[in-house]
Amino acid sequence: MASSIGWSVLLTTLGLNILIAIYGIVYGKTLTKKLISLTILSDTVNLFFIFIGYRYVVPSIPPVLVELKPEYIEYLKAHGVDPLPQALVLTGIVIGMAVNSLIAFAIIQTYRLEKTVDARKLVGLETIEVEE
Amino acid sequence: MNRRTTFLLIILTLDLAIAIALAFTGLVTTPVDIKQLGLFYIENSFFGEMSAMTPEVVSSIVWDYRGLDTIYETAVFFLAIVAGLAVFGTVETSSGVSKGLTNLAKTATKLMSLLIISVSASIALHGHLTPGGGFQGGSALAVTPLLLIPTFSVYELVNRGVTTTRLIAARGLALASIGLIALLPVFRGLEIATNTRFYPAYFMGQLISGSLFFYNIFEYLAVASGFAAIFLYISIPERCLDGEISRGGG
Repeated sequence: MASSIGWSVLLTTLGLNILIAIYGIVYGKTLTKKLISLTILSDTVNLFFIFIGYRYVVPSIPPVLVELKPEYIEYLKAHGVDPLPQALVLTGIVIGMAVNSLIAFAIIQTYRLEKTVDARKLVGLETIEVEE
Repeated sequence: MNRRTTFLLIILTLDLAIAIALAFTGLVTTPVDIKQLGLFYIENSFFGEMSAMTPEVVSSIVWDYRGLDTIYETAVFFLAIVAGLAVFGTVETSSGVSKGLTNLAKTATKLMSLLIISVSASIALHGHLTPGGGFQGGSALAVTPLLLIPTFSVYELVNRGVTTTRLIAARGLALASIGLIALLPVFRGLEIATNTRFYPAYFMGQLISGSLFFYNIFEYLAVASGFAAIFLYISIPERCLDGEISRGGG
Protein backbone atom coordinates (compact mmCIF):
# COMPACT_ATOMS: atom_id res chain seq x y z
CA MET A 1 0.00 0.00 0.00
CA ALA A 2 2.83 2.40 0.86
CA SER A 3 4.34 1.88 -2.57
CA SER A 4 0.96 2.61 -4.21
CA ILE A 5 0.66 5.88 -2.26
CA GLY A 6 4.21 6.85 -3.21
CA TRP A 7 3.51 6.05 -6.85
CA SER A 8 0.25 7.99 -6.74
CA VAL A 9 1.95 11.04 -5.16
CA LEU A 10 4.58 10.91 -7.88
CA LEU A 11 2.04 10.85 -10.69
CA THR A 12 -0.23 13.57 -9.24
CA THR A 13 2.81 15.78 -8.58
CA LEU A 14 3.85 15.37 -12.20
CA GLY A 15 0.30 16.39 -13.17
CA LEU A 16 0.58 19.44 -10.89
CA ASN A 17 3.91 20.31 -12.50
CA ILE A 18 2.25 20.18 -15.94
CA LEU A 19 -0.48 22.57 -14.70
CA ILE A 20 2.16 24.97 -13.31
CA ALA A 21 4.03 24.86 -16.63
CA ILE A 22 0.84 25.59 -18.60
CA TYR A 23 0.11 28.50 -16.20
CA GLY A 24 3.62 29.80 -16.90
CA ILE A 25 3.15 29.52 -20.66
CA VAL A 26 -0.17 31.39 -20.56
CA TYR A 27 0.60 34.04 -17.90
CA GLY A 28 4.39 34.42 -18.29
CA LYS A 29 5.25 38.10 -18.61
CA THR A 30 8.03 37.80 -21.19
CA LEU A 31 8.63 35.41 -24.08
CA THR A 32 11.72 34.10 -22.26
CA LYS A 33 9.66 33.12 -19.22
CA LYS A 34 7.16 31.41 -21.52
CA LEU A 35 10.03 29.44 -23.09
CA ILE A 36 11.29 28.39 -19.65
CA SER A 37 7.77 27.18 -18.79
CA LEU A 38 7.66 25.27 -22.08
CA THR A 39 10.90 23.46 -21.20
CA ILE A 40 9.45 22.57 -17.78
CA LEU A 41 6.35 21.20 -19.53
CA SER A 42 8.34 19.07 -22.00
CA ASP A 43 10.67 17.78 -19.27
CA THR A 44 7.70 16.81 -17.08
CA VAL A 45 6.03 14.98 -19.95
CA ASN A 46 9.29 13.15 -20.67
CA LEU A 47 9.58 12.14 -17.01
CA PHE A 48 5.97 10.97 -17.11
CA PHE A 49 6.78 8.71 -20.08
CA ILE A 50 9.80 7.29 -18.28
CA PHE A 51 7.59 6.41 -15.30
CA ILE A 52 5.05 4.72 -17.61
CA GLY A 53 7.81 2.23 -18.53
CA TYR A 54 8.85 1.68 -14.91
CA ARG A 55 7.97 -1.48 -13.01
CA TYR A 56 7.91 -1.95 -9.26
CA VAL A 57 9.88 -5.17 -8.77
CA VAL A 58 12.90 -5.73 -6.55
CA PRO A 59 15.44 -5.24 -7.98
CA SER A 60 14.26 -3.23 -10.96
CA ILE A 61 17.12 -2.98 -13.48
CA PRO A 62 17.86 -0.98 -16.66
CA PRO A 63 17.27 -2.82 -19.96
CA VAL A 64 20.91 -3.69 -20.59
CA LEU A 65 22.35 -7.20 -20.95
CA VAL A 66 25.31 -7.00 -18.58
CA GLU A 67 26.04 -10.69 -19.19
CA LEU A 68 25.95 -12.00 -22.75
CA LYS A 69 24.29 -15.31 -21.80
CA PRO A 70 20.86 -16.49 -23.02
CA GLU A 71 19.86 -17.31 -19.39
CA TYR A 72 20.21 -13.60 -18.48
CA ILE A 73 17.33 -12.74 -20.85
CA GLU A 74 14.83 -14.43 -18.49
CA TYR A 75 16.15 -12.40 -15.54
CA LEU A 76 15.94 -9.20 -17.62
CA LYS A 77 12.37 -10.06 -18.68
CA ALA A 78 11.40 -10.45 -15.03
CA HIS A 79 13.24 -7.40 -13.65
CA GLY A 80 14.03 -5.03 -16.53
CA VAL A 81 12.10 -1.81 -17.09
CA ASP A 82 10.39 -1.13 -20.43
CA PRO A 83 13.00 0.12 -22.97
CA LEU A 84 10.49 1.57 -25.46
CA PRO A 85 9.46 4.70 -23.48
CA GLN A 86 13.14 5.42 -22.84
CA ALA A 87 13.90 5.26 -26.56
CA LEU A 88 10.90 7.45 -27.41
CA VAL A 89 11.86 9.98 -24.73
CA LEU A 90 15.38 10.10 -26.16
CA THR A 91 13.89 11.04 -29.53
CA GLY A 92 11.50 13.47 -27.81
CA ILE A 93 14.35 15.21 -25.98
CA VAL A 94 16.24 15.85 -29.22
CA ILE A 95 13.16 17.19 -31.00
CA GLY A 96 12.26 19.28 -27.92
CA MET A 97 15.80 20.66 -27.92
CA ALA A 98 15.46 21.59 -31.61
CA VAL A 99 12.10 23.30 -31.04
CA ASN A 100 13.40 25.15 -27.96
CA SER A 101 16.46 26.47 -29.77
CA LEU A 102 14.25 27.53 -32.69
CA ILE A 103 12.00 29.46 -30.27
CA ALA A 104 15.07 30.98 -28.58
CA PHE A 105 16.28 32.22 -31.97
CA ALA A 106 12.82 33.64 -32.69
CA ILE A 107 12.85 35.46 -29.32
CA ILE A 108 16.27 36.98 -30.05
CA GLN A 109 15.04 38.08 -33.49
CA THR A 110 11.92 39.56 -31.88
CA TYR A 111 14.15 41.54 -29.51
CA ARG A 112 16.20 42.82 -32.42
CA LEU A 113 13.15 44.03 -34.29
CA GLU A 114 10.85 45.19 -31.47
CA LYS A 115 13.42 46.02 -28.72
CA THR A 116 11.30 44.11 -26.20
CA VAL A 117 10.32 40.53 -25.35
CA ASP A 118 7.39 41.57 -23.15
CA ALA A 119 4.42 39.63 -24.49
CA ARG A 120 1.90 42.36 -23.60
CA LYS A 121 3.90 45.11 -25.29
CA LEU A 122 4.28 42.93 -28.37
CA VAL A 123 0.52 42.55 -28.80
CA GLY A 124 -0.06 46.25 -28.28
CA LEU A 125 -1.13 46.34 -24.63
CA GLU A 126 1.88 48.37 -23.48
CA THR A 127 -0.28 50.80 -21.51
CA ILE A 128 -0.99 48.19 -18.82
CA GLU A 129 1.62 48.41 -16.06
CA VAL A 130 2.01 45.31 -13.93
CA GLU A 131 4.29 45.19 -10.87
CA GLU A 132 6.61 42.18 -10.56
CA MET B 1 2.16 33.94 5.95
CA ASN B 2 1.38 35.79 2.77
CA ARG B 3 -1.27 34.88 0.23
CA ARG B 4 1.09 33.23 -2.22
CA THR B 5 2.47 30.78 0.39
CA THR B 6 -1.05 29.94 1.61
CA PHE B 7 -2.19 29.29 -1.96
CA LEU B 8 0.85 27.05 -2.57
CA LEU B 9 0.22 25.10 0.63
CA ILE B 10 -3.44 24.55 -0.31
CA ILE B 11 -2.45 23.29 -3.76
CA LEU B 12 0.15 20.90 -2.28
CA THR B 13 -2.33 19.58 0.31
CA LEU B 14 -4.91 19.03 -2.42
CA ASP B 15 -2.32 17.21 -4.53
CA LEU B 16 -1.42 14.95 -1.61
CA ALA B 17 -5.09 14.30 -0.82
CA ILE B 18 -5.89 13.37 -4.42
CA ALA B 19 -2.83 11.08 -4.51
CA ILE B 20 -3.84 9.23 -1.33
CA ALA B 21 -7.47 8.96 -2.50
CA LEU B 22 -6.37 7.51 -5.85
CA ALA B 23 -4.12 4.98 -4.10
CA PHE B 24 -6.82 3.89 -1.60
CA THR B 25 -9.53 3.49 -4.24
CA GLY B 26 -7.17 1.28 -6.25
CA LEU B 27 -7.26 3.52 -9.33
CA VAL B 28 -3.47 3.92 -9.21
CA THR B 29 -1.33 0.90 -8.42
CA THR B 30 2.37 0.32 -8.88
CA PRO B 31 3.04 -1.43 -12.20
CA VAL B 32 4.73 -4.83 -11.95
CA ASP B 33 4.64 -5.88 -15.62
CA ILE B 34 5.83 -4.25 -18.80
CA LYS B 35 4.15 -4.29 -22.21
CA GLN B 36 4.58 -7.13 -24.72
CA LEU B 37 6.37 -4.81 -27.15
CA GLY B 38 8.98 -4.01 -24.49
CA LEU B 39 9.46 -7.73 -23.85
CA PHE B 40 9.93 -8.30 -27.60
CA TYR B 41 12.77 -5.78 -27.70
CA ILE B 42 14.41 -7.28 -24.60
CA GLU B 43 14.20 -10.80 -26.07
CA ASN B 44 15.47 -9.86 -29.52
CA SER B 45 18.09 -7.16 -29.02
CA PHE B 46 21.00 -9.61 -28.83
CA PHE B 47 19.98 -13.28 -28.90
CA GLY B 48 16.64 -13.28 -30.70
CA GLU B 49 15.84 -14.09 -34.33
CA MET B 50 15.53 -10.37 -35.17
CA SER B 51 18.70 -9.44 -33.31
CA ALA B 52 20.33 -6.03 -33.57
CA MET B 53 23.46 -7.54 -31.98
CA THR B 54 23.57 -5.00 -29.15
CA PRO B 55 23.23 -5.70 -25.42
CA GLU B 56 21.90 -2.17 -24.84
CA VAL B 57 18.19 -2.52 -25.63
CA VAL B 58 17.45 1.23 -25.82
CA SER B 59 20.25 1.74 -28.39
CA SER B 60 18.91 -1.17 -30.44
CA ILE B 61 15.49 0.54 -30.61
CA VAL B 62 16.90 4.00 -31.29
CA TRP B 63 19.27 3.00 -34.09
CA ASP B 64 17.85 -0.27 -35.40
CA TYR B 65 14.19 -1.12 -34.80
CA ARG B 66 13.09 2.53 -35.01
CA GLY B 67 16.22 3.78 -36.79
CA LEU B 68 14.36 5.80 -39.42
CA ASP B 69 12.70 7.83 -36.63
CA THR B 70 16.12 8.74 -35.33
CA ILE B 71 17.41 9.74 -38.77
CA TYR B 72 14.43 12.09 -39.20
CA GLU B 73 14.88 13.40 -35.65
CA THR B 74 18.49 14.26 -36.47
CA ALA B 75 17.22 16.07 -39.56
CA VAL B 76 14.77 18.09 -37.41
CA PHE B 77 17.61 19.23 -35.17
CA PHE B 78 19.64 20.16 -38.25
CA LEU B 79 16.76 22.30 -39.55
CA ALA B 80 16.63 24.17 -36.21
CA ILE B 81 20.32 24.97 -36.53
CA VAL B 82 19.83 26.09 -40.14
CA ALA B 83 17.09 28.41 -38.83
CA GLY B 84 19.68 29.80 -36.39
CA LEU B 85 22.03 30.38 -39.31
CA ALA B 86 19.25 32.25 -41.11
CA VAL B 87 18.73 34.55 -38.10
CA PHE B 88 22.37 35.03 -37.05
CA GLY B 89 24.18 34.50 -40.34
CA THR B 90 24.72 38.21 -40.96
CA VAL B 91 26.28 39.03 -37.57
CA GLU B 92 29.97 39.95 -37.77
CA THR B 93 31.91 37.99 -35.22
CA SER B 94 35.60 38.87 -35.40
CA SER B 95 35.37 42.60 -34.76
CA GLY B 96 35.82 42.59 -30.98
CA VAL B 97 38.80 42.07 -28.71
CA SER B 98 38.65 40.50 -25.29
CA LYS B 99 41.31 39.08 -23.02
CA GLY B 100 39.17 36.48 -21.31
CA LEU B 101 39.76 35.32 -17.75
CA THR B 102 43.07 34.82 -15.89
CA ASN B 103 45.79 32.35 -16.88
CA LEU B 104 44.84 30.16 -13.92
CA ALA B 105 41.26 29.84 -15.16
CA LYS B 106 42.49 29.23 -18.71
CA THR B 107 44.81 26.39 -17.66
CA ALA B 108 42.11 24.81 -15.50
CA THR B 109 39.65 25.03 -18.41
CA LYS B 110 42.15 23.37 -20.76
CA LEU B 111 42.55 20.45 -18.35
CA MET B 112 38.80 20.19 -17.79
CA SER B 113 38.18 20.27 -21.54
CA LEU B 114 40.54 17.31 -22.05
CA LEU B 115 38.68 15.34 -19.38
CA ILE B 116 35.27 16.23 -20.87
CA ILE B 117 36.39 15.19 -24.35
CA SER B 118 37.60 11.78 -23.12
CA VAL B 119 34.51 11.13 -21.00
CA SER B 120 32.13 12.18 -23.79
CA ALA B 121 34.01 10.00 -26.31
CA SER B 122 33.66 6.99 -24.00
CA ILE B 123 29.90 7.70 -23.59
CA ALA B 124 29.49 7.83 -27.38
CA LEU B 125 31.77 4.93 -28.38
CA HIS B 126 30.28 2.57 -25.77
CA GLY B 127 26.74 3.60 -26.70
CA HIS B 128 25.98 0.14 -28.11
CA LEU B 129 27.18 -1.61 -24.92
CA THR B 130 26.18 0.61 -22.00
CA PRO B 131 23.61 3.39 -21.47
CA GLY B 132 24.69 6.37 -23.53
CA GLY B 133 25.20 6.94 -27.23
CA GLY B 134 25.85 9.56 -29.84
CA PHE B 135 23.41 12.19 -28.62
CA GLN B 136 24.36 11.88 -24.96
CA GLY B 137 28.10 11.90 -25.75
CA GLY B 138 27.68 14.84 -28.11
CA SER B 139 25.74 16.81 -25.49
CA ALA B 140 28.54 16.13 -22.98
CA LEU B 141 31.17 17.26 -25.50
CA ALA B 142 29.18 20.45 -26.15
CA VAL B 143 29.94 21.49 -22.56
CA THR B 144 33.52 22.19 -23.74
CA PRO B 145 32.61 25.24 -25.90
CA LEU B 146 30.33 26.41 -23.07
CA LEU B 147 33.39 26.45 -20.80
CA LEU B 148 35.75 27.87 -23.43
CA ILE B 149 33.51 30.80 -24.41
CA PRO B 150 33.52 32.62 -21.03
CA THR B 151 37.13 31.66 -20.22
CA PHE B 152 38.85 32.54 -23.49
CA SER B 153 36.11 34.89 -24.84
CA VAL B 154 34.09 34.23 -27.97
CA TYR B 155 36.42 36.41 -30.12
CA GLU B 156 39.41 34.23 -29.23
CA LEU B 157 37.53 31.13 -30.42
CA VAL B 158 36.41 32.81 -33.62
CA ASN B 159 39.93 34.14 -34.34
CA ARG B 160 41.29 30.60 -33.88
CA GLY B 161 38.97 29.37 -36.59
CA VAL B 162 36.06 27.96 -34.55
CA THR B 163 33.38 29.73 -36.53
CA THR B 164 29.70 28.89 -36.81
CA THR B 165 30.11 28.31 -40.56
CA ARG B 166 32.76 25.65 -39.96
CA LEU B 167 30.73 24.02 -37.19
CA ILE B 168 27.67 23.87 -39.45
CA ALA B 169 29.86 22.38 -42.20
CA ALA B 170 31.17 19.75 -39.75
CA ARG B 171 27.62 18.95 -38.73
CA GLY B 172 26.59 18.67 -42.38
CA LEU B 173 29.45 16.24 -43.05
CA ALA B 174 28.55 14.11 -40.01
CA LEU B 175 24.89 14.01 -41.06
CA ALA B 176 25.88 13.09 -44.62
CA SER B 177 27.94 10.23 -43.16
CA ILE B 178 24.91 9.02 -41.17
CA GLY B 179 22.88 9.09 -44.41
CA LEU B 180 25.65 7.21 -46.23
CA ILE B 181 25.80 4.51 -43.52
CA ALA B 182 22.02 4.09 -43.90
CA LEU B 183 22.21 4.08 -47.71
CA LEU B 184 25.22 1.78 -48.33
CA PRO B 185 23.26 -1.52 -47.94
CA VAL B 186 20.94 -0.43 -50.79
CA PHE B 187 23.81 -0.86 -53.28
CA ARG B 188 24.03 -4.53 -52.27
CA GLY B 189 20.31 -5.00 -52.87
CA LEU B 190 19.32 -4.81 -49.17
CA GLU B 191 16.82 -2.47 -47.49
CA ILE B 192 17.81 1.03 -46.41
CA ALA B 193 19.30 1.23 -42.87
CA THR B 194 20.05 -2.53 -42.79
CA ASN B 195 22.12 -3.38 -39.75
CA THR B 196 23.88 -6.69 -39.10
CA ARG B 197 23.07 -8.30 -42.48
CA PHE B 198 25.42 -5.75 -44.08
CA TYR B 199 27.74 -4.45 -41.36
CA PRO B 200 29.83 -6.85 -39.24
CA ALA B 201 28.72 -7.34 -35.62
CA TYR B 202 32.29 -8.00 -34.49
CA PHE B 203 35.46 -6.21 -35.59
CA MET B 204 38.80 -7.70 -34.51
CA GLY B 205 37.04 -9.60 -31.73
CA GLN B 206 35.30 -6.51 -30.37
CA LEU B 207 31.51 -6.22 -30.43
CA ILE B 208 30.65 -3.15 -32.53
CA SER B 209 26.98 -4.09 -33.17
CA GLY B 210 27.06 -3.44 -36.93
CA SER B 211 26.01 0.01 -38.04
CA LEU B 212 25.20 1.19 -34.48
CA PHE B 213 28.84 1.97 -33.76
CA PHE B 214 29.15 4.17 -36.85
CA TYR B 215 25.81 5.90 -36.22
CA ASN B 216 26.93 6.70 -32.66
CA ILE B 217 30.27 8.17 -33.82
CA PHE B 218 28.72 10.42 -36.45
CA GLU B 219 25.78 11.43 -34.25
CA TYR B 220 28.34 12.31 -31.56
CA LEU B 221 30.16 14.66 -33.94
CA ALA B 222 26.92 16.04 -35.39
CA VAL B 223 25.32 16.83 -32.03
CA ALA B 224 28.51 18.31 -30.55
CA SER B 225 29.11 20.62 -33.53
CA GLY B 226 25.41 21.56 -33.65
CA PHE B 227 25.30 22.51 -29.98
CA ALA B 228 28.62 24.35 -30.27
CA ALA B 229 27.19 26.37 -33.17
CA ILE B 230 24.09 27.26 -31.11
CA PHE B 231 26.25 28.34 -28.14
CA LEU B 232 28.42 30.49 -30.43
CA TYR B 233 25.31 32.10 -31.97
CA ILE B 234 23.93 32.97 -28.57
CA SER B 235 27.27 34.22 -27.16
CA ILE B 236 28.03 36.67 -29.94
CA PRO B 237 27.34 40.18 -28.62
CA GLU B 238 25.40 42.38 -30.96
CA ARG B 239 25.23 46.13 -31.30
CA CYS B 240 21.53 46.23 -30.42
CA LEU B 241 22.19 44.21 -27.27
CA ASP B 242 25.29 46.20 -26.22
CA GLY B 243 23.21 49.29 -25.52
CA GLU B 244 20.85 47.32 -23.34
CA ILE B 245 23.71 45.75 -21.37
CA SER B 246 25.37 49.12 -20.71
CA ARG B 247 22.11 50.47 -19.33
CA GLY B 248 22.06 47.60 -16.86
CA GLY B 249 18.98 45.98 -18.34
CA GLY B 250 18.75 42.67 -20.18
